[in-house]
Amino acid sequence: MAKTAKKGSGTAQDAFHEDVFKMVFDRIQTGILVIDPETHTIIDANDHAEALLGVKKDKLTGKVCHDFVCPAHCGQCPITDLNTPLHNTERVLLSASGERIPILKTVAQATLAGKAYLIESFTDIRDRKKAEERRIALLAYLNESVLRIKKPLELTGENLRRIEDQAGTGDYTPEEIRMQIRLQSNNIMAMAATLQDLASKAAEERDDIPERFREFFIGK
Amino acid sequence: MEDIQALDLSTDTQLYLLLSAPQGINSMNLQVVKKILAKKCIPLIISLNQPSQVLVKSYAKEGITPDQYYVIDAVTHYSGGTCRPDSHIRYVNHPADLTGLGIAITDLLKQIPSPRKCIIFDSVSMLLIHIPTATASKFLHFVVNKLKISEVSGIFLCVENGLDPVILSQMSAFVDKIVDFEKTKSPSLPDQRF
Repeated sequence: MAKTAKKGSGTAQDAFHEDVFKMVFDRIQTGILVIDPETHTIIDANDHAEALLGVKKDKLTGKVCHDFVCPAHCGQCPITDLNTPLHNTERVLLSASGERIPILKTVAQATLAGKAYLIESFTDIRDRKKAEERRIALLAYLNESVLRIKKPLELTGENLRRIEDQAGTGDYTPEEIRMQIRLQSNNIMAMAATLQDLASKAAEERDDIPERFREFFIGK
Repeated sequence: MEDIQALDLSTDTQLYLLLSAPQGINSMNLQVVKKILAKKCIPLIISLNQPSQVLVKSYAKEGITPDQYYVIDAVTHYSGGTCRPDSHIRYVNHPADLTGLGIAITDLLKQIPSPRKCIIFDSVSMLLIHIPTATASKFLHFVVNKLKISEVSGIFLCVENGLDPVILSQMSAFVDKIVDFEKTKSPSLPDQRF
């Protein structure tokens, strides 16, 4: 398809524009596929699409697009059959290695030399998805850790009040009182360890924490 | 706390998660033990909250003698106390020693002569001080399975609003009923009484 733009061009300016187009088409960090909407076959693919799909361009051209960029069945193409626009929509790319790569996909319709084409462009969002998953995991971890500290602390406070009452009755030996205070003290230390672990995990995940605080929290 | 009187232990295996405010959990322990004894069940208290020596005195004040119940004590050694040999008490070195707890539960359930027995786990909140929720969930699942196989009832005590939603949903699948003790005390919610 990149070469078809050459047809009918004869001037140096046309050649320059063609070179610019070819350079952008092949170097842009967005996968681009040109699809024939009638046959759903791939007409052209840029280098980034090749890299993401793990398939060379000559193996891609002529193949049905459902096998790579759209898991929809034949007759259920969101663009040509269902008239559903796709603009920065989260989809999954099927790579040659079987990996399902999350992408943001946009499909535009274009007419070149009187023929309609679909221009599918897609951006790899694996890093973003991983970051989202890390963030969700961290939030869950924070929530869980807070619960592991807050309520046990309240319970410990209540236990200390009970021990104080027991100490006043004379029914409990000093050893029994000492043992209970030690138990509450050990529990507080265990909660402090959970808190320290929590602070370390939070600091590891947060890039906006100033370095001196990061060193303080996680010791590196 | 009259709601505890409605605790149904009429069938062989009943599993409850009892939720209470922090200030009510020790009282709830005592009331549950009384209730179990009243139902002619032998209670096995798994104590992560109080040393058995203190528990024995608290129960004695209520007229409950040491021969009426069994204790797995996971805190006396942890708090530097003396583990006095007693046929009704099994000591575990640390509240996070889940293997030790599992063995002690198995052994004491075999040792208790009565066919009707009920464990009281005091408490899930204290367990969570020492181990993460995910590990606690697996361990509690193990305990619940053991109880179901042995046809033994179980009551798990926990501080209200102290459970991660994940473990709460898992526990609601394990147990027959989750009872928020504070809510059951509200006259506007009589249907939640158990």
